[in-house]
Amino acid sequence: MTGTLTLAFDTATEHIAIGLALRTGEALEVIGTRDAEAPRAALARLLPSVEDLLIDHAVRPSDVSEVVVGHGPGSFTGVRIAVSAAKGLAHGLEVPLYAVSTLDAVAWRLAGSLRPGTLIGVLGDAMRGEVYPALFEVTPDGVKRLTSDRVATPDAVAGEWASLENSLVLTGNGLTKYHDLFATVLPASTTVADPAQWSASGSGLLAAFHSALLDGALGDGDPATVLPVYTRLSDAEENERARTRQGPGER
Amino acid sequence: MRVRLRPLRPEDLRSVLAIEEASFPRPWSEGMFAAELGLPDRMWFVAERDGEVVGYAGAMMQLGEAHVMNLAVAAGARRQGVATVLLSGLIDALRDRGAHGVTLEVRENNDAAISLYESAGMHAVGERPGYYVETGESAVVMWSDDLDSPGMNARLDILRARARRYSYASDDDGHPYVLGIETSCDETAAAVVGAHNEVIANVVATQVDFHARFGGVVPEIASRKHTEAIVAVVSEALTQAAGTLGRPFGFDDVDAIAVTRGPGLVGALVVGLAYAKGLSLATGIPLIGINHLEAHIFAALLEDPNLAPPLIALVVSGGHTSLVYVPEWGEYRVLGETLDDAAGEAFDKVAKALGLGYPGGPIISRLAEQGDPAAIEFPRAMLHSGDYSFSLSGLKTAVINHVSHEREAGRELHLPDLAASFQAAVIDVQVAKAVRAAEEYRVSSFVIAGGVAANTALRQGLTDAMRSRGIEVAVPALHMCTDNAAMVATAGLFRYARGERMSRADDAAPGLRLDSA
Repeated sequence: MTGTLTLAFDTATEHIAIGLALRTGEALEVIGTRDAEAPRAALARLLPSVEDLLIDHAVRPSDVSEVVVGHGPGSFTGVRIAVSAAKGLAHGLEVPLYAVSTLDAVAWRLAGSLRPGTLIGVLGDAMRGEVYPALFEVTPDGVKRLTSDRVATPDAVAGEWASLENSLVLTGNGLTKYHDLFATVLPASTTVADPAQWSASGSGLLAAFHSALLDGALGDGDPATVLPVYTRLSDAEENERARTRQGPGER
Repeated sequence: MRVRLRPLRPEDLRSVLAIEEASFPRPWSEGMFAAELGLPDRMWFVAERDGEVVGYAGAMMQLGEAHVMNLAVAAGARRQGVATVLLSGLIDALRDRGAHGVTLEVRENNDAAISLYESAGMHAVGERPGYYVETGESAVVMWSDDLDSPGMNARLDILRARARRYSYASDDDGHPYVLGIETSCDETAAAVVGAHNEVIANVVATQVDFHARFGGVVPEIASRKHTEAIVAVVSEALTQAAGTLGRPFGFDDVDAIAVTRGPGLVGALVVGLAYAKGLSLATGIPLIGINHLEAHIFAALLEDPNLAPPLIALVVSGGHTSLVYVPEWGEYRVLGETLDDAAGEAFDKVAKALGLGYPGGPIISRLAEQGDPAAIEFPRAMLHSGDYSFSLSGLKTAVINHVSHEREAGRELHLPDLAASFQAAVIDVQVAKAVRAAEEYRVSSFVIAGGVAANTALRQGLTDAMRSRGIEVAVPALHMCTDNAAMVATAGLFRYARGERMSRADDAAPGLRLDSA
């Protein structure tokens, strides 16, 4: 087998996404994927599923020459499980580790099926009544990200997205809770992706990685420096910040 | 870090001379050392650490008797077992060359050296008055018994076992090597131990400063810090292992990965577990899941390699206070636990109530050193309960009530007395129950384990009570009491030898108990 064998996975949501691909020159060919619902079972299911996928394609772990991980935003623990497992794999194999956004992987999943110019609004579930919103535009080559990672209330996001002029397709696991809210606020032209496509997939992750690679938008591959994307501090730090902002005189 | 013993070579003379000159008022000259190298009846060794000579010892053989002529350790490497390694290695080599007995002279005031030689089975047989002219000190002449006598054999076995903890034997390939990984609370740790529980590498990245301002461990911060640190900490452990062994050391040299499965903070545990599983899949190295509490007990084995069950262990930490009967390694019967707060938790809460900061254990024990433990009479809960349970929340409340009572009365708090009295109330109950357990189960060994075992007064109280009853006490070194991965690797070595493996499908076990280890 010539070329670079790429292993990618994501467990930022209750969905485990795994992809295996062969890169030759600028081309990336998906060899196999595994996608499964695994609520609260990422730690138990991720590595055995990766192993199964490798075995299915007669690939030894030592054949893998780069690891890609979806680093969120998503469930803090879910993201850490994928990132930590990827660090162990890349460290043990002595190969590069690259991170791509979980939301990018969700958007890329829809790329081929939409007309250029269409907008994709990804809503990741951020728990506690909030979402991780990210806006993408479909291009002839795939998708292009328009906004950076953040956390916001669904109301605020719906308000912003209501004024968008291009046609908008909504996706992301945040819709499980907020579908109705967005349906009332957004114009009738807005469509919603098939619920089966609301999470990251093995092929979406690989596509997002491939695009970032061609754009030169990946890090140096050091497994020690790849970190999760949280968008929020820990509660303890958030509370501390709120107290500090209040100022000593107002307490 | 560990040392390696090897014969003295001409290129070592400069380093040896530097140590010699810093150690003795009338040092040997370079010429004297150089001459020794050429003599057939001499035997010289150096102890090397990270490629640097940190000590040396030499002896002369005459008619089946060996005379130890010199033994010195660099100032920065003293009290770290280097002399033990040198003496043990030298005596073994002398015996191999046919020596039946060993003799030496030592300064009468060099207590550390005398007690080392005594531990090697040597005893004083006479004195040479004024032997050391520059100080006027006398030399104590010491002799060993016959090196082949059963008594000496037993002594030398103990010395050898102790030396193994500090050294790496170059003729031994050292396998199996176990890589330990620990992320159950607020320390990210990795360590490597070799076949004889020798610690080849030990790295702990503590997060205590990140948690201190919140008055306790914040689980989300702990999990984030583990994720940031894990790769660097494991890499550092491999680098340290290479330095200790004096040769390259990588994952290829590791025979098993031991990782803490529980108990602990679930979000923190999964970081170490996910990393270890990824590493195991990448390298094919088997994985062993470790009970964190068992690892704390195994830390005692790092201190005393001859420690053997049956024994009683008191596991005291921020999350646990348990008295455990250990009939044999790997089998645990929890005799009693705390019904409410763990010992470490009680220290933290009292320190917080007094506005003293976090973590409470070291702060209170430092204050207590200046205070009178009998100044305030705090309750000894469950002292006469007839079982092995503990309760500490009542004591915490009593301390808080005392504080507000004193403040209302307009009296100033005497913090050292308060700390000492609180600490004494905690310790009294633990000592009383520990003694009763040791007597009921008729054990001859007792282990103090866990972070609170770093408390000097508790160590002292338990040690005095046990020794006066003829029970041997094993207390891990201070840095082995608090969370570390060397203890995880040591427990891993035991489980590895028993053929136990963890599946990559196994989950974290945040509520894991010792009796299900």
